[in-house]
Amino acid sequence: MTPENAVMTDVEMVTVVIDGFDVTVPKGTLVIRAAEKLGIQIPRFCDHPLLSPAGACRQCLVDIEINGRAFPKPQASCTIPVENGMIVKTQLTSEVADKAQKGIMELLLINHPLDCPVCDKGGECPLQNQAMSNGRSESRYEGVKRTFEKPVSISSQVLLDRERCVLCARCTRFSEEIAGDPFITLNERGALQQVGIYEKDPFLSYFSGNTVQICPVGALTGASYRFRSRPFDLVSTPSACEHCASGCSMRTDVRRGKTLRRLAGEDAEVNEEWNCDKGRWAFKYISSKERIAGPMVRGEDGELHEASWPQALARAAAGLKGKRAGVLVGGRSTVEDAYAYAKFARVALNTNDIDFRSRLHSDEEAVFLASRGVNFNVSYRDLDKADHVVLVDFEPEDESPIVFLRLYKQVRKRGLKVTTLSPVLSRGSEKLGAAIVEDIASISGLSEKSVIVVGERAAEVIGQFTSVVKLAQSTKAKVAWIPRRAGEVGAVVAGAIGNLLPGGRPVADPAARVDIASVWGVESLPAAHGKATWEILEAAGDGRLDAVVIGGVDPLDISSEALGQLLGASTFVLSLEISHSAITAIADVVLPVAAVSEKSGSFLNWEGRPRFFEKAIADSLTRSDLRILSMLADEMGTPINLPSSQAAAKELQSIGEWDGAKADAPSVSPATLTAPSGDQAILHSWRQLLDLGTLQNGEPNLAGTARAAHVLISANRAKSLGLSNGDLVKVSTARGSITAPAQIGKISDSAIWVPRNSIGSQCIANLGAASGLVVTVVKA
Amino acid sequence: MSYSPEQISIMDSIIARYPRKRSAIMPLLHFVQSISGFVTPEGIEKIAELLELSTAEVTAVSTFYTQYKPEPVGEYHVGICTNTLCAVMGGDAIFDAVSEHLGIANDETTKDGKVSLERIECNAACDYAPVVMVNWEFFDNQTIQSVKDLVDGARTGNPPAPTRGPKTLRTWKENSAVLAGLSDGLAGEGPSAGHASLLGLNLSKEGK
Repeated sequence: MTPENAVMTDVEMVTVVIDGFDVTVPKGTLVIRAAEKLGIQIPRFCDHPLLSPAGACRQCLVDIEINGRAFPKPQASCTIPVENGMIVKTQLTSEVADKAQKGIMELLLINHPLDCPVCDKGGECPLQNQAMSNGRSESRYEGVKRTFEKPVSISSQVLLDRERCVLCARCTRFSEEIAGDPFITLNERGALQQVGIYEKDPFLSYFSGNTVQICPVGALTGASYRFRSRPFDLVSTPSACEHCASGCSMRTDVRRGKTLRRLAGEDAEVNEEWNCDKGRWAFKYISSKERIAGPMVRGEDGELHEASWPQALARAAAGLKGKRAGVLVGGRSTVEDAYAYAKFARVALNTNDIDFRSRLHSDEEAVFLASRGVNFNVSYRDLDKADHVVLVDFEPEDESPIVFLRLYKQVRKRGLKVTTLSPVLSRGSEKLGAAIVEDIASISGLSEKSVIVVGERAAEVIGQFTSVVKLAQSTKAKVAWIPRRAGEVGAVVAGAIGNLLPGGRPVADPAARVDIASVWGVESLPAAHGKATWEILEAAGDGRLDAVVIGGVDPLDISSEALGQLLGASTFVLSLEISHSAITAIADVVLPVAAVSEKSGSFLNWEGRPRFFEKAIADSLTRSDLRILSMLADEMGTPINLPSSQAAAKELQSIGEWDGAKADAPSVSPATLTAPSGDQAILHSWRQLLDLGTLQNGEPNLAGTARAAHVLISANRAKSLGLSNGDLVKVSTARGSITAPAQIGKISDSAIWVPRNSIGSQCIANLGAASGLVVTVVKA
Repeated sequence: MSYSPEQISIMDSIIARYPRKRSAIMPLLHFVQSISGFVTPEGIEKIAELLELSTAEVTAVSTFYTQYKPEPVGEYHVGICTNTLCAVMGGDAIFDAVSEHLGIANDETTKDGKVSLERIECNAACDYAPVVMVNWEFFDNQTIQSVKDLVDGARTGNPPAPTRGPKTLRTWKENSAVLAGLSDGLAGEGPSAGHASLLGLNLSKEGK
């Protein structure tokens, strides 16, 4: 336990008596929470520890007296804070409280259908459970129950059965207080009161799935899980989310070898009890039809053919052994898999040409990562306590949603000051009340309690990392690097990049190389600075490399030429993939690997906090990347000895953190951009949370809530082009164009913004670049 | 339809009366009714935009209060009190008779768009029971015949004057504008407290 976690002594404590027992709790604690401390469970529906008290369901009524004066009627224990001298009697010691609770339960059940046998919530339902524990065994109600048309789609992924609702307002409070998306409200009144949306505006919140999880009855259900399973048929495994670097704790529910749903896990330090809809619902890619069933080898006919593992491994080994090869890891590897790639590159391929960055990247970024080391010393708690948070090329709601929720919580609670270095005020920034700054030099008001959050897109701006480091040095502010993908932080620590060995050891440092060589039991390690992703691709294209080993990589994430470069100069391509992709289509050997739910391992989230997960699909026969790399290294006669993720984790842990000198911070001068004129504008883009990302495949309900592509333009540009909201705009480069409806918003006059990888707007494929480019903008 | 610059500037002036924008939601909903006769989708969207609320939040308020109508009502919206006291004093009978006379049920409007009917809750005028309100103006001590005459007059564009309030009965839209806070200058016209309300006061003044 950290000192911050310890009970603080300066908090005023209050002692109350509940059911005859004394309990001492901090002033302000609600009666229902104080009772929990004694192990006394008061039934409840609307109460939720992370939401503001509502007193909406009235189920938690108890008898209360203070200093000898009793309340005339039972009170809702979820809305009343404890006071000194308070005596509380719950249903356990007060007949009045017990009768009041039973009465409320009877009232709630009057209009509640008895459809538990077909309800998704049946078997894990607080209403069902508490009706048994705190209600009558038989209904006395003989009238006709109120019915509603059912279900109502409040979005493509959330369905509402209004007759089941007990009007606890958990969902509406969550949407407003936690997500900042008040798109569902309690409408109408009296017997017709119901949760609803405005008819034209569906519940398009990135966090909508949490309302399904916290609904204490079966009123809100997820379209993809509805009627699919009974909770008691599911086997649950604690897991970690593979979608981003927020690092959510999760629970994966599997029935007979198939994942049926995923829920947010509880971790007060990270995701509290929430997650985003991508983490919750984007898991169907595992069971895609494109899934690769077994190893494949390209025959002389130019087609891929199924092969046995020994055949495929032999072919792969022949293609790699003694050759000049590079390794592209992809950003989604577990720490253990990334470590295996890092070791494989050095031991089996004798090269530092390895890079996990499957996106736009720069040398400056690699230097920044090396100079930062692997002990980041910045966490969610620093965001909680910060006096000022600066976002640099980072959109938390799209790129790391739990970071957004944590920031939003502080913005709501205490008006946390947020500044974003961006020409665009996004919806997320608007919710955070962020101030826009277009020039890093004009950021002020930073102290040692401030945090500068720099996103992966900083690599797209020459000199940005240099400026960030300088700003942090001059203000003593902390720097957090929050990449989008879940595997990137772990890959840095594992040494899956050309300038770093495991534990943050600089490749350039001979002592660091000796360190690692001795652990790995090899004579020496390659000393040359490794190539970055773009250099590996270029070298593959012009014949300076003979072979490339590629993990989970989409070439269009990197550049429009990447795929062509891999095809050139008869490079040998080994692909380790889950599903068929642009890479497997050109690979010489394809080896199928396990998805996250089919293996155990860990990610490091942006804080560097390990997020362990167990194998959720217990009977899966797929092999993880590290197992395959280990077999391949054996076949090549250069073993890496990593038979399991446990072995890899143990070995990486034994290596430990580098205690020698770190690389110097980057020193790159910013480029001066020429101001665009007339029809021209500077292109800006980022990936929206829900888009065409590979891991979102196969889940149309989720895709239905993605924000549609649009071109964000300033009011002045709209005026000069004669455009109104919704008119089509064409954004073009020499390579191609994107045409989408205009949205007039808060963006610099010299810039335009489009989503980077959404339907109808794929920057790299359509325009040949994703940011910083001068594009032509005209009315379509 | 979209709102004219004049209408928008009226809305802005209503918003400017409050320290926080969102407080203007109720008068703005009345203002929307003063233009369209009911709360239109366009009205909800415009209010959400002006007050920086979500459309769902505006919907929540507009559906909570029965004074905000999701469908068009008549030029003369006739509310017959059928709470306990008015009901036993004749409110129920009046409602049934007028409903049959007009051929419309609760919450319906005559085809000519002139009169709509609603069972309303207590209007705090029990001393004049049975009470009928037309566009929120009081018609006290009503009978079946008086309300039939009232609605017939309303349908021919010649409704009788309210018992209390202004000397001429204003239309639904006109009174909605008053509720939005836009004065029609008639606030001081006609009696406000009637004989029955003042009876006790007057008796005590006479020392009885």
